[in-house]
Amino acid sequence: MRGVPLGRAVVLILLAATPLHAQSSLTIVAPAAPGGGWDQTARVMQRVLAESEPGISVQVDNIPGAAGTIGLARFVQSERGNPDALLVTGLVMVSGVITNASPVSLSHATPIARLTGETEVIVVPSASPHQTLGDLIDAFKRNPGAVSWGGGSAGGTDDLLVRLLAEQVGLPPSRVNYIAFSGGGAALAAVLGGQVTAAVSGYGEFAGQIAAGQLRPLAISAAKRIATIQAPTLREAGVPLDLANWRAIVAPPGLSDAEHDALIARVTRMATSEAWKKAVAQNGWDDLFLAGADFRQFLLAEQSRVEAVLHRLAATEAAGPPRFTLAVTPTTVPNITVAIFGILAAGLAWSRARGSATAPPAPGWRMAAFLALALLAQPVLMLAAGFIASSTFLFTVAATAWRGARPAAGILAKDTAVGAVFAIFIYVIFTTGLGVALP
Amino acid sequence: MPDLWAGFVVALQPINLLWGLAGVTLGAAVGVLPGIGPALTVALLLPVTYGLDPTAALIMFAGIYYGAMYGGSTTSILLNTPGESATIVTAIDGHQMARNGRAGAALATAAIGSFVAGTLATLALSLSAPLMVRMALAFGSAEYFALMVLAFVMVTTLLGGAGSRLAGWVSLMLGLALGSVGIDGLSGQARFTFGIPYLLDGVDPVIVAIGLFAIGETLWVVSRGPDEDQVLPVRGSLWMTREEWQRSWKPWLRGTAIGFPMGALPAGGAELPTLMSYAIEKRLAATPDEFGHGAIEAVAGPEAANNASAAGTLVPLLTLGLPTSATAAVLLAAFQQFGLQPGPLLFEHEPKLVWGVIASLYVGNAMLLVLNLPLVGLWVKLLSIPRPWLYGGILVMASLGAFSVHRSAGDLLLVAGVGMVGYLLRYIGAPVAPVMIGVILGPAAEQHLRRALSISQGDWSVFLTRPLSAALLAVAAVILLAGIRRRATLQSTDEAQ
Repeated sequence: MRGVPLGRAVVLILLAATPLHAQSSLTIVAPAAPGGGWDQTARVMQRVLAESEPGISVQVDNIPGAAGTIGLARFVQSERGNPDALLVTGLVMVSGVITNASPVSLSHATPIARLTGETEVIVVPSASPHQTLGDLIDAFKRNPGAVSWGGGSAGGTDDLLVRLLAEQVGLPPSRVNYIAFSGGGAALAAVLGGQVTAAVSGYGEFAGQIAAGQLRPLAISAAKRIATIQAPTLREAGVPLDLANWRAIVAPPGLSDAEHDALIARVTRMATSEAWKKAVAQNGWDDLFLAGADFRQFLLAEQSRVEAVLHRLAATEAAGPPRFTLAVTPTTVPNITVAIFGILAAGLAWSRARGSATAPPAPGWRMAAFLALALLAQPVLMLAAGFIASSTFLFTVAATAWRGARPAAGILAKDTAVGAVFAIFIYVIFTTGLGVALP
Repeated sequence: MPDLWAGFVVALQPINLLWGLAGVTLGAAVGVLPGIGPALTVALLLPVTYGLDPTAALIMFAGIYYGAMYGGSTTSILLNTPGESATIVTAIDGHQMARNGRAGAALATAAIGSFVAGTLATLALSLSAPLMVRMALAFGSAEYFALMVLAFVMVTTLLGGAGSRLAGWVSLMLGLALGSVGIDGLSGQARFTFGIPYLLDGVDPVIVAIGLFAIGETLWVVSRGPDEDQVLPVRGSLWMTREEWQRSWKPWLRGTAIGFPMGALPAGGAELPTLMSYAIEKRLAATPDEFGHGAIEAVAGPEAANNASAAGTLVPLLTLGLPTSATAAVLLAAFQQFGLQPGPLLFEHEPKLVWGVIASLYVGNAMLLVLNLPLVGLWVKLLSIPRPWLYGGILVMASLGAFSVHRSAGDLLLVAGVGMVGYLLRYIGAPVAPVMIGVILGPAAEQHLRRALSISQGDWSVFLTRPLSAALLAVAAVILLAGIRRRATLQSTDEAQ
């Protein structure tokens, strides 16, 4: 039915993505949707490993959700003891574990190595009166609410940096007027348009505007000055603080010492290869390679400092008085929405009951209910019996339900046959063509 | 202009033409499949294109984006199951046209409208990008919130279904409530998740769309029995009649004029412009009562708007490095993979590449038209598949689409549940489109409200002291009051009779 364009598409993808047949395999879990930093890290690793270890097949598995904690939980539970599985992680997951109250934390996984990182930068628009970080901090200390800080999502690296900065200059982290935007890049429009006083993001997101002179970098968060960036570090600007948006690799729990050492050696070999260094430079990442025991130390230190600031933040927010009257808290809008929905739905029901309008005829409601039951059974059926069997069943039920009567055996057999052919056709296209794994 | 010519020289190289063709074909195919959108396709292809020339790869990716905008309308019109959220509005009248035997005309006006809009918007992109950027930056959170309030008022007023505005508001509120499930983007606090980790990331609009449209529609058709489910055979010309041409060309141009600037706004998305286009066409139409029953203007306008907004999305992406849609975000990752940083300096540093990509958009549009018009006849044949098998196929594709978004069995359960809600809404005569608008725009509207208040330190007057925001809210108020008054007049004439 969608033969012509899809057919060509499938051929194209087949040509481009024919998987290598290999004996050994490695799975890299990227706990985020395709396209983001964790996913890119996993995919660059996939390419470099496949080049440097011929005969190995490397899969990237995306398990997005809740700052990576859904991927972490599933990785720790289902890959226990598997020496051929790795998980990409980073600073955002450390805070995500706390803010999402995830029962599984990074301490449950086996640390392997820190790979890359990116420095954060604090910018103001070029028209801003704040010339240096000192100016901005003075204004911030004078009236914390009047200085709005734009950045990425709540609990992310940008948020953490501003809260840590506030603590260093002697203000409680809850006094920061932090405006979260979806993704660091979205804060860019707000700071360029002068909607927020300052913005914080990974350096790469603002690099173009800084080079073009539209944004003024006040400070970067790296520990040491970076030659290519014309801005002081926070330490140079008088704030004893450094923070990197680092990304790292961990393995599942339950590995033997030999397996653990072998994985560290393998990742070290990859991270010191020319191909990896080239890819790191090309993506604008900083090489922050740190393996084994040193990385374990680093991870513990990051966990304790992030936990400390987030707990102080939560404590002061819970205890403090509301910042302004008529405050819109995170629960205000949802609660009002549900309340209005309830009132309107009751009103609608009442007006329908009072009105003379009769419900439209639904002679086939039994069949619709039958079909609804089949749909509810799909998740179980698909996992238990596989995609092809469950889809054939769904197809047949839908066709039978539409006919509205108990069909003759011949018709039923024909429906089932058509459904099976259709399901197999779709299965082949999706698994081999688009690379979407189906049960 | 000489830059653009140089761009055409790049785009018309045979190898780049080939990549463009591959992109638009692939895009049209994924636009048709529910759940598999352009963002996912580009992301899957990213590692494969690593060895390619950046220009060729980006031309292909841009082709996928445009092609998907094109392809999404096909299933909306024929099966009332939008493949992309951008074509939800198209489904309303497009599917009615198909039922009235004018499927060919609906597909043709969508294809030609997309071509006209895509071409004009690409032209506007090459001429007015710097201007658009300045306009877009003037939009702060207060303005976005006001714009979304206007959208909410419009969707309930226009798509309120058979005379019941109340039902429209119930649908909208349901959508808003569904949209607020999950982790709050501003505070990181979980809402309405009931301690279930699955709900932390919220309800995916794609899942809601598949459930409401594909599954809800199938259950509805089944419940009414086979006798009610009659589709008239194609009558008259397969393509458009002279009258249909006359009714289409103005909506195409207006749709373009709405879609391009709204696509360029950093809030992005194609849902708002398609909705606005529908509203304006209904307002200007000679026969507004035909809207909802297969008015060709209601297909021509929104289809032009969604393609124009796709071109608009490229404005902040190329000039600011600012992605405003999921697909644009993946395109940004594609640029970065090749060591290119979209932003103010990209036009200076890589003029050949940027203008090559822009020129390839013109070329891609022409290819899409050539590709799609002859296929109209083939697509229409889809309607002659025996109905039981057609609905069987729709349900299989729907469950597959729902599953492949996150590869989660929980999504299958959710999509079935949403499908039953969709059935219930149809049963009580409530429109389903406002639910979608609520799910998609609700979280954004709430975030902008709270951002605006946070920046103003709790001062509600920002919505009225900023002129643009005040004007948008005033328009919303007028529409709301006019609707109430008209309803009151209708009721009093009813009583008088």
